[in-house]
Amino acid sequence: MVKVPLLAIVDDDDDVREALSDLLLVVDLPCRTFDRAEALLAEYEPGLFDCIITDMRMPGMGGLGLLRRLSRFDAAVPVIVVTSDAGPQTRLQALDCGAHAYLIKPIEDHVLIGHIKSALARDDNGQKRGPNG
Amino acid sequence: MGDAARKRAFLVDRDVTSNDDRMSWDFATSEEDYRKLIHYLPVALWQVDTQGASAVFDRLKAEGVTDIAAYLDEHPELVELAKDVVRVTAVNREAMLLFRGRSAADLIAPVRYVFAATPDLAKRVMVAHFEGRRNHIEETKVAALDGTLIDVHFTVTYPERQEQCSLLTMLDIGERLRTEGQLRQLQADFTHAARISTLGELATSIAHEVKQPLAAIVTNAETSLRWLKRDDVSISKLETLTSRVISNARRASDIVQRIRGMAVKHEPVRASLDLNEVVEEALLVVRHDIELRPITLTVRYGDPLPRVIGDRIQLQQVIVNLLVNSVQAIAQGGGPARRIDLRTSTDGDNAVTFTIRDTGPGIARENLDRVFESFFTTKDTGMGMGLAICQSIIVGHGGGIVAANRPDGGAQFQFSLPGEVQPSPRT
Repeated sequence: MVKVPLLAIVDDDDDVREALSDLLLVVDLPCRTFDRAEALLAEYEPGLFDCIITDMRMPGMGGLGLLRRLSRFDAAVPVIVVTSDAGPQTRLQALDCGAHAYLIKPIEDHVLIGHIKSALARDDNGQKRGPNG
Repeated sequence: MGDAARKRAFLVDRDVTSNDDRMSWDFATSEEDYRKLIHYLPVALWQVDTQGASAVFDRLKAEGVTDIAAYLDEHPELVELAKDVVRVTAVNREAMLLFRGRSAADLIAPVRYVFAATPDLAKRVMVAHFEGRRNHIEETKVAALDGTLIDVHFTVTYPERQEQCSLLTMLDIGERLRTEGQLRQLQADFTHAARISTLGELATSIAHEVKQPLAAIVTNAETSLRWLKRDDVSISKLETLTSRVISNARRASDIVQRIRGMAVKHEPVRASLDLNEVVEEALLVVRHDIELRPITLTVRYGDPLPRVIGDRIQLQQVIVNLLVNSVQAIAQGGGPARRIDLRTSTDGDNAVTFTIRDTGPGIARENLDRVFESFFTTKDTGMGMGLAICQSIIVGHGGGIVAANRPDGGAQFQFSLPGEVQPSPRT
């Protein structure tokens, strides 16, 4: 059976959040949006989301804080970073914390979708979580 | 007797009552001295016979005129008449040089030529005379006989009751005004350089602000293209996406415009401003830098605030500087709470106040009086110009800025600007 994947988008910028969620909609990927990492974590349950797309620079713990939390209690969920921060240091930190991909804004749609597909495939293939996945 | 001895005699004998024979002789020489002194005095002097004006004034007073300024506005011909009947009776060498005359005779004439460059000056001189003031002083322009315009410090000393001579002096202040102009230019250049340097420090934050709407534009447009390829293409969806492209493009353009506004060199402009808006615009370039750090920023806008007259960019610069300062102070240490609180407010006196408080280590007591000095810094990097520039901008706006330590730790900076004076409604 095919489980419909659910994605999460975390970005403090309303316009960017809307744009990303509409992009996922047109490729039939349902998603939920959050304006900061804390908002996602408040509702987070391991296994709820199949992939997380997050910004880095945000009020509160930010993208790096989110990556660190997730690596502790849901290391399997793939996280794609979409940020305007092109600094090599932030990129290294994010990848160190287990980011699946690190994309610089403005992103190209097919690149993001490619990474989402590879993330979901990885999710399907191996590091299973749950009996029916 | 040598020159020096004669001068001494002159100075002494004037104040000594004596019947000494020497006195009359000395008086004679001292009058010559006196004339020379006046002639070579490095201040241009005019002696003016004001009998004509006095007669007119007496008549007006008898007629019950009190508001002479209004009266002269209604009767400009009186000012014109005065320019012809009031005459210069003597001038010194400096006056001749200043007015490019060939001989004193060139300047012995009705006073009209003195007022050629600033016709209103004659009226102001008459008003002060009529009102019985001893002096009238202003900085103004006069035209030399060859038409050259000269900036002068201009004074008139009016006659005491019995005398009929006014004394007029002028001092060429062109050089001083030019120096002041250069100084202002230097100050403006420096303020601009400091602004550029601050913008450089905030480059990452600014890039982020611009990239957000650009990212939204690209993604919305790409999403539109994907919809167009679908069989179930929805027109209303395309409409939504397209209008988002437009609004985000506008947003990006506004941000670029504002940053550009801060970056380009411009002559300070005085405009009526809402300080709350200025604070919001300043936050635009710093906000992300603050949000990235574990710092809580609160802003309390006073509402309504009187408007202030000022240069938007310079006031933004002050607020950005103070914010960056607070962020750096918190990075240096301080209490466990990491907060920056901004507030705008007004007092009963129509003044508008901006307050910024942080929870950094505060200002060492011995430095409190020095923080606004140029090149004063407690940081390893930085030139120590930030607060000096803040102060010069605020003072240039007729306001004041003070630094203090808060009783519960941290520093507080506060500047006040005079509110715009509203014309009071006529009743």
